[in-house]
Amino acid sequence: MSTAQDQARASVLVRVDRERAFRLFTEEIDRWWRRGLKYRVAGKRRGIIALEPRVGGRLFESFDVDGETRVTVSGQVTAWEPPARLMFEWRAVNFAPSESTEVEVRFEPDGESTLVTVTHRGWSKIRPDHPARHGLAPAAFLRMMGMWWADLLSSARVHAAGGSR
Amino acid sequence: MDSTLDRTLAALADPTRRRVVELLRKRSCRPSEIADRMALTRPALSRHLRVLRRAGIVSERIEEDDARARLYTLREQPFSELGDWLREVEAFWGDQLNAFKQHAERSPPRKRRR
Repeated sequence: MSTAQDQARASVLVRVDRERAFRLFTEEIDRWWRRGLKYRVAGKRRGIIALEPRVGGRLFESFDVDGETRVTVSGQVTAWEPPARLMFEWRAVNFAPSESTEVEVRFEPDGESTLVTVTHRGWSKIRPDHPARHGLAPAAFLRMMGMWWADLLSSARVHAAGGSR
Repeated sequence: MDSTLDRTLAALADPTRRRVVELLRKRSCRPSEIADRMALTRPALSRHLRVLRRAGIVSERIEEDDARARLYTLREQPFSELGDWLREVEAFWGDQLNAFKQHAERSPPRKRRR
């Protein structure tokens, strides 16, 4: 089994140094975070995703629905250690208040490049009788995990490791 | 099928049970050995093993040369389901990291301050 029981991991080697990788990842998150229903609550609407650069800062989206601005917070920063490490909670829109998963992003130097590794853990803590999960097969449940995860995951067939380890 | 996944996740939500699973990933064990290695009382361990058994994560069998001895073994099937699911999550992040790489590598380096 390549995947630890409770966590998903993906990594990529980026040809920029670590300081820059961390800065681009966080400051410019809206410029690279993919758009569309697969990745954003906003879906196809115009909107932004932002990460507030400090412990306790929010990862949130802001977008307009029928002329009103809606803000959805998917979690708070729990570790802010530039340029090495970043950690934030990740909650889908239909999670119960007590339910949360955790995303850790590590930036490790690799020559002139940086290995960026995302570890998303805590899946086993999501209540098994979560309404979204009731009667659904895993793939279908995933699509219900919130708009972020909608459709997306099953369709995106990607390398989980562009990295060098 | 999804109820199996639910049971798998519920069973693995407990850190002690995850450690039992870690132990059994290496090889099958007798309960006494697990209890010793993890400093658990036998009744406590029995409860955990029962949950893991019901979730289909471990199976119990009787050792051939000793009818009283039980041996616990990790079953693969529930993990493949959870594994499928986690692979979907990995695909999501792989996708995002690809997008990040493209962005980072095409952004011109910031001009140095004079």
